[in-house]
Amino acid sequence: MATPKVAPWPAIPILKPDEVYAGLSDQAKEYPLFLESITRQEKNFEKPEALSRLRVLDCTTRMMIGHWCSSMLSELGAEVIQVEPPGGDPLRQNTPFGRKEYMFQDKETGEEVGGQFLHEMRNKLSVTLNLETEEGREILKKLAVHSDVVIENGPPGQWDAWGIGYRQLREINPRLIYCWVGQRGQWGSLKDKPGRLDPVAQAACGFVHGTGDPKEFGGQPTRSALWVADHVGGTAAAMGILAAVVYRENVSGEGQFIEATAAEAIIRILDYSWGWYSMDGSIRPRYGNWDLAINIYAVNPCKDGYMMVGGGHDRLWYRIWRTVGDEQPAVEEDILGDPHLREVTERLAHDMQVKTYTMLGEWLKDNPRSEAERKLSKQQVASGGVLYVNEVAEYPHFKYRGHVAEYDSPHYGKILYGTTPFLQHKTPGRLKWLGRPTGYDNQDVYRRLLGFTRDDFTRLSETGVTHEEEEEEL
Amino acid sequence: MARETAAAKQTQSFDEYCRETFDFKKAFGKPEALKGYRVLSCTQYILGPSCASYLAELGAEVIKIEAPRRGEAMRHTTPFNEPFLYPLSRWVPERGTGLGFLGANPNEYFTSVDFHRKEGQDIVKKLAAKSDVFVENYRPGTFDRWGIGYRQLKEINPRLVYAWLGGFGGWGPGRVRASYDILGQSQGGNFGMTGKQEFLGGAPAKHTIWLADYWGGMMAAVQILAALYWRDKISGEGTFTEYSQVHGVTRQLEYALPLYGRHGITRERWGNWDTQLCVHGIIKCGKSSYPQSENPQEQEEGYILISAYDDKDFARLCQTVGDGNLAGKYAKQDIRIQAKSQMEIYPWLEKWAANKTKEEVAAILDKANIINQPVWNSKEVANNPHWLERGAVRWLDDPTYGDLLHQGPAYMMSETPPRLKWALKPVGADNEEILGKLAGLSAEDLRRLEEQECI
Repeated sequence: MATPKVAPWPAIPILKPDEVYAGLSDQAKEYPLFLESITRQEKNFEKPEALSRLRVLDCTTRMMIGHWCSSMLSELGAEVIQVEPPGGDPLRQNTPFGRKEYMFQDKETGEEVGGQFLHEMRNKLSVTLNLETEEGREILKKLAVHSDVVIENGPPGQWDAWGIGYRQLREINPRLIYCWVGQRGQWGSLKDKPGRLDPVAQAACGFVHGTGDPKEFGGQPTRSALWVADHVGGTAAAMGILAAVVYRENVSGEGQFIEATAAEAIIRILDYSWGWYSMDGSIRPRYGNWDLAINIYAVNPCKDGYMMVGGGHDRLWYRIWRTVGDEQPAVEEDILGDPHLREVTERLAHDMQVKTYTMLGEWLKDNPRSEAERKLSKQQVASGGVLYVNEVAEYPHFKYRGHVAEYDSPHYGKILYGTTPFLQHKTPGRLKWLGRPTGYDNQDVYRRLLGFTRDDFTRLSETGVTHEEEEEEL
Repeated sequence: MARETAAAKQTQSFDEYCRETFDFKKAFGKPEALKGYRVLSCTQYILGPSCASYLAELGAEVIKIEAPRRGEAMRHTTPFNEPFLYPLSRWVPERGTGLGFLGANPNEYFTSVDFHRKEGQDIVKKLAAKSDVFVENYRPGTFDRWGIGYRQLKEINPRLVYAWLGGFGGWGPGRVRASYDILGQSQGGNFGMTGKQEFLGGAPAKHTIWLADYWGGMMAAVQILAALYWRDKISGEGTFTEYSQVHGVTRQLEYALPLYGRHGITRERWGNWDTQLCVHGIIKCGKSSYPQSENPQEQEEGYILISAYDDKDFARLCQTVGDGNLAGKYAKQDIRIQAKSQMEIYPWLEKWAANKTKEEVAAILDKANIINQPVWNSKEVANNPHWLERGAVRWLDDPTYGDLLHQGPAYMMSETPPRLKWALKPVGADNEEILGKLAGLSAEDLRRLEEQECI
């Protein structure tokens, strides 16, 4: 099909430093320019990588949590080898509403990959290996000898039964850090209840029940659009892996067994839910786009969308209403005159939150996001509109700092992507490449690490160890 | 674990092995991964504190420095202004500690220092000289102005890993903007995509947790651990890390940016369904699981996630639910996944579930071996044997505040398990010990500085 005409990114040019810091005194711009000089991503390649001595085998498939975890490590410099089943991880096929035209095509082979898988294939090598074959498992053992970290997500006990679990691999390589990732856990009473992909974890930990509007407001439990528990769980797994690396290097010289689940990572960050329940039996309720514990701290409708306004303490409270009062003095008067809104803590009662946001809405309905932000920013109040992806991609601050950038791939052409937030002075995270066709690195990895010969490749391909049986090509 | 027992362990079933290896009650019999590392946490709210607390779970000595007397703002934040932790503090006699503080500061030592004053800054410098990590989340440049920023502290201690965390980052056109978690979600992009579909009357929805904060802190902890590894293994040098929470959110938008960049298409909300897999969505079950309850949270209908996106799973789902019509029409995933198909499939499932509770639906699907997960509320999670035996949620005998249900660390480790020691302490509870030990303050100094409200 014909490629649709899309304006090149960025549609609006990226600001220059003199434009950003125009009108500031030398003193005022000295510190931000210093920070810029030590953390700008353009300078990444002048600096070393923190984890360049580590090799990671990411053997996870059909699940995002492991890919996210290994991305954290590969962005920081580890050599991550993505071990995929012959034919590739089925996640490669995912594309919104099944539309093939939204997939990215390898220029050479025509192989397609979905945007989500591509977005996490950063700095990773791709090899194919069929772990369901005896020989595939033997090869995995050999790869494990050369690795610091193995990540897997098989059904509970599967790898152990196959003879390539932690108990067996640690005999081959005592320095190995072995990490299992999943939705609810490989042991415990729910271990045999199958999970796989988020939002299984989101639903199992209290997150979905707590997200969205209350029923009285027409709401229902709501999942995140993202497989967010996989992202948080993957980050937690990366934290455990790096702690194990530090301990191995400093103290023990040995690896260990790590388990991280998407659900438990969210349970960890569901703030006070558990303490609150244990005190008085309260169930964390849905509270829509308001906050149970802070007023003003919410997103509400405004003239052209949705607007966040925040100010949890008195100083900001009065500044917000002064801003509103400039246009609607009656609203400011009403709020300041209400005795139940005088104390910070009294404003948290539900009725008071309803009143606060109803009155704020009187002002927001006449103000588009940019106007509301401009007026509130003058008073140093934290505020901003809910941005959609097209706005995120073009947001001047994000473009200037490189939160969003374009990578020109030798395989897939230009790809817009979200960059690593690991900015740093000495060893920043970075993108070296984005995306690899399935098994692209078979030759490199198997020759370099295991000394495979041409004969080995032919045999393994024909016996279905590295390639699907019907495939002929090497 | 000693090598010689390995053979014996091998005969153990995998499940038994895991239960023993990851038993959180045995954590205190094992060493800590970050023992000997000292972290100074000059942080408030959630983003910075949570980052330091993840290191405290791993055994680092984390010293939190708060503003004297009332301490940081989250101590005074609690849902609907109702639950508070007691005992009362000397400085806030009318009220206890708000629950907003809970979960973001476990295992830490609590000191209080006024950063504005010269004497306070001198204390910070003395502590920083003996620390490995320095975490702060004040407005960019504030600590630099006070003489305790990266540029000054790296002169005192070149091995220091200085981590700054904040909303928009310390440079660029938006550097002066204040930020909170909810603003990070709003502007980073995940907020606008979450929530019911536009054409079904939905609106963007906030993630209920302070996600950009708590998860952002985790991201920054990953970055800090990598920096420590590089320092100890390779360079001997500290560094400066900058974590912007809004940047983190933009990083996790999955296919949204590649899709927009290539086709100019803006990813929109798709409610409780999934844009890439079908069936893989949450549906309403018509009946409440607790019709007798007086709590509206329990009176409402149940919800359940059903996941049967492979063709053979979907065929089994159709058999279970009983509609041969749809089985043929939507036999293939690439047909099922289309928007129009989803709009027929999910209402069909909801119709089937209309006279059932979520537990009844789960039982039927379990029998057919179809992936499902009832949407559990926090009470159901807190009482679930699975989470309790794994220690994801556990009872804590807190030395200061008594019995509390508390979340465990986010992951498990066999040899150096992260652990929970205490939930929190009052402001300045460890002043005497820490400031005496590390900054050389005498009893007389401590008394004087406390009177002057400098600590």
